[in-house]
Amino acid sequence: MLTKDLLRVSRRGGRYRPEFIGREVRPLAARLIGTYRDHVDQPRRAVDEAVGAIEREETDFKLVRGFAALLDREATFETVAALPPERTRRRVFEAAEAVGVATNEEREQALINAADELAVETAAVEDSFYADRDCNQRLTAFESRWDPDDLIEQYNLSLAQTALFDATEVAVTSGDPRGLVSAIKRLGLMYEIDREEETGGPDERMVVVTGPDRLFRRTRRYGTAFARLLRSVATSGEWELRATVDDRGTERELLLTETDVTVPGVDPVAEPSYDSGVERDFAARFSSLDLDWALRREPDLLETGTSVMIPDFAFDYRYADFRVYFEVMGFWTPEYVDKKLGQLEAVEDVDLVVAVDDSLGVGEEIEATDHRAIPYSGSVRVKDVVDVLREYETGLVEAAAAELPDDLRPEADVIELDALASEYGVSTDVVENRAFPDHRRVGQWLVRPGVLSTIAEELSEGMSFADAEAVIEQHGVTDASAVLAAVDYRVEWEGLTGGVVKKR
Amino acid sequence: MTVRLAFEDGTLRIESNRGSDPPLGGLPGVETDPRSETARTPALFYGPIRDILRQLDADVDDRVCPTEQLGLSTGYELRDYQQGALDSWVDNGRRGVLELPTGAGKTVIALAAIAHTGTPTLIVVPTIDLLEQWQRELETEFEVPIGRLGGGEQRVEDLTVATYDSAYLRADELGDHFGLVVFDEVHHLGAEGYQDIARLMAATDRLGLTATFERPDGAHETIRELVGPRVSEIAVDDLAGDHLAPYEIRRIEVELTPDERAEYDEAQGTFVDYVRQANISLSSGSDYLQLVKRSGNDPAAREALLAKQRARELMMNAENKRHQLARILDRHREDRVIVFTAHTELVYRLSERFLLPAITNETGAAERREILERFREGTYSRIVAANVLDEGVDVPDANVAVVLSGSGSEREFTQRLGRILRPKDDGGRSILYELVSAETAEERVAERRR
Repeated sequence: MLTKDLLRVSRRGGRYRPEFIGREVRPLAARLIGTYRDHVDQPRRAVDEAVGAIEREETDFKLVRGFAALLDREATFETVAALPPERTRRRVFEAAEAVGVATNEEREQALINAADELAVETAAVEDSFYADRDCNQRLTAFESRWDPDDLIEQYNLSLAQTALFDATEVAVTSGDPRGLVSAIKRLGLMYEIDREEETGGPDERMVVVTGPDRLFRRTRRYGTAFARLLRSVATSGEWELRATVDDRGTERELLLTETDVTVPGVDPVAEPSYDSGVERDFAARFSSLDLDWALRREPDLLETGTSVMIPDFAFDYRYADFRVYFEVMGFWTPEYVDKKLGQLEAVEDVDLVVAVDDSLGVGEEIEATDHRAIPYSGSVRVKDVVDVLREYETGLVEAAAAELPDDLRPEADVIELDALASEYGVSTDVVENRAFPDHRRVGQWLVRPGVLSTIAEELSEGMSFADAEAVIEQHGVTDASAVLAAVDYRVEWEGLTGGVVKKR
Repeated sequence: MTVRLAFEDGTLRIESNRGSDPPLGGLPGVETDPRSETARTPALFYGPIRDILRQLDADVDDRVCPTEQLGLSTGYELRDYQQGALDSWVDNGRRGVLELPTGAGKTVIALAAIAHTGTPTLIVVPTIDLLEQWQRELETEFEVPIGRLGGGEQRVEDLTVATYDSAYLRADELGDHFGLVVFDEVHHLGAEGYQDIARLMAATDRLGLTATFERPDGAHETIRELVGPRVSEIAVDDLAGDHLAPYEIRRIEVELTPDERAEYDEAQGTFVDYVRQANISLSSGSDYLQLVKRSGNDPAAREALLAKQRARELMMNAENKRHQLARILDRHREDRVIVFTAHTELVYRLSERFLLPAITNETGAAERREILERFREGTYSRIVAANVLDEGVDVPDANVAVVLSGSGSEREFTQRLGRILRPKDDGGRSILYELVSAETAEERVAERRR
């Protein structure tokens, strides 16, 4: 975090965007790091002057100061003096009081008296007098491990944090929702789940973060907490943070993602870790099957009353915006079971399947909360889960079929059923039993009658099978046998490798 | 069931689960919070809500209020006007602001108010010096451990002194620790951020202290809501000749040396040229702000600002001011002298030249306390201070003040004056010297004050 006077933002186009920096400022970053290195053993005043000189050469003095502010934290400044300064001052002030200093001569006298009492030279007294002032302290060590790229990365993070000081509210999506919620709690903030209807995918869920007082006023009081939250959010691999910023009375939106800000020295967490072996084992076995469902880990935050639960998995249906949540309820303490049951009772209206350890004996209680329960002992049987998904699938296929017209008239002359199904966003089963007034069904293909006539004309009695296959492929169909049958040819095989085509 | 009141991070959380409980929506400031599915209001409204529920004879489970009684007593004998001020505060339900000129003994009245309420108390003050001063007063008066938030310490006790900054940062966390909050120099509460201190604290008893309640910016309207109305007003005239000493002002004009003049003209010229060429009128503060904004990406504007700063520093540090100060120190060898200037660097230059104990915002808490103590008890008869001593700090018995340059703000000027308005043993008049450079912008600032 930087001080607010060092904030650099662009308001172009009504946006509010920190002016992030990249490789183009590496020379400047390197020069400042070098300046600090070169000033070891020098007083702070000299460091400040050197930075000031660079400032005057650069067009953007705030950037220079921002770098310097970060480097300052890597530097050690200490008082270097022959005598303890505070004690020296006390003696000098006492001596001055006794003399009564107005003239220069009186000043000299007071200093001599003080030096006598301290048994040192007057020069030592004068040098130590204010040696502990910040500007007189020495840079005794500068042991930064930062290279210019690290400094730039740190700067971008600090700049984004500084921009958040004026935020009144932030909304976050994170690849690590569990980490997000625990960071929010740790920082004394509050949250709500905001569901936005999205087209072309499951609903977008954002965690809207505020503080208690936000209910009554748009307050910037939680700005520093938001800045700390950013640091935590930015350690996950994929995230987005939208902040409402009070920019001197004007409300602006600030958008940050993992492409803007990363945390130096921290590898982003790409995949959440598994709570238990049961979950890890299940994920591995499920992924090895080729199903119409994609598995997602810790996908969302679901509201349960005023709290949230994060289901272990979700299954996303490939052919529709449909998501089934899946929670594995292992054997744990009675408190855990009670808490889980409470959550299941209060959770928002979603499709949720719970795998429950047989020994818990709470399957019926779960069914009573309107969720499907799959009992297991030892490990969750993938087949049981697939069976449940199949049931959903049947329902989904029926629903999709109901929406699809009875007659399908694809534009293409030639198209495979699979391709047509995905054009409609349904499974192949759904299109298979439709009528195709403009096409003939040839195996798994739809072909216009005109195309078939052309093919028939190009074929001739006695043509080798290989040549016939080439003709058919030219028209875009790969299933030669089915096409030959459709135009009333058959293959007379010669041996194992070839043959000729004959009219039926 | 009952209505349950709980303090939660600066807010009052209200829960009720029976139809026969009073409707919560009608209570002051109350809103429905979907995040917790309860009613909620800023902690400020705890007092009024508690009173309303009491009147309705509602069944209340109150988990907010500190009920502990501290059993404090004060040995101060209040003067009549002080007792009167305290009485009107108590009569107003222990809420409200006392307007008192500097030197009228506001600390004494506040100590009496703390003893009267006998409840854990937070005293909020604007500067580190006032923090030190209140801490000392409280320790002497009540002989209990005194907490302190600010100046590098964070320690909470039943009686705690805090700076406005520290109180702002911790209001939501400490808001239910105290039954009484005292706001010293209460006009600071007008600032948007600081308002949170009063809004997020549950304390039902609130006392504000100030020398000037009504403000041109209307801040007193906010303070009325947060602390209460002005319940007592004492004018300077009511006290002059009684508790406050008469004083005289001597204004000394100082010429720049020829070298300084040349340097000044050059720097000032750079500034004026830019302003003219950029067509800025500088007739108001906002024009100046415009220039500062521009300097963010316009190197010429920045150069102009740096030149202006250089000119100001030249003026401030004029060598002849040091000569004049030497003469004043020579003239007042038997007096107690406090030297003020707004500029930290100048404070240190004067401290090194005249070997004067210095107090600035850089001075550590322990040394600051020691210097003020030694000045008070007479070990030191002179100190030099940056404007950190601006507000209401008690520097007893200084009878000569020297002000080198100033910002021209009316309030600052009167409060500084107030500081040396202390009776002198032999009844002699106090003197305020004002050292300004001739024919400069600085002089116009001094003019404006008259």
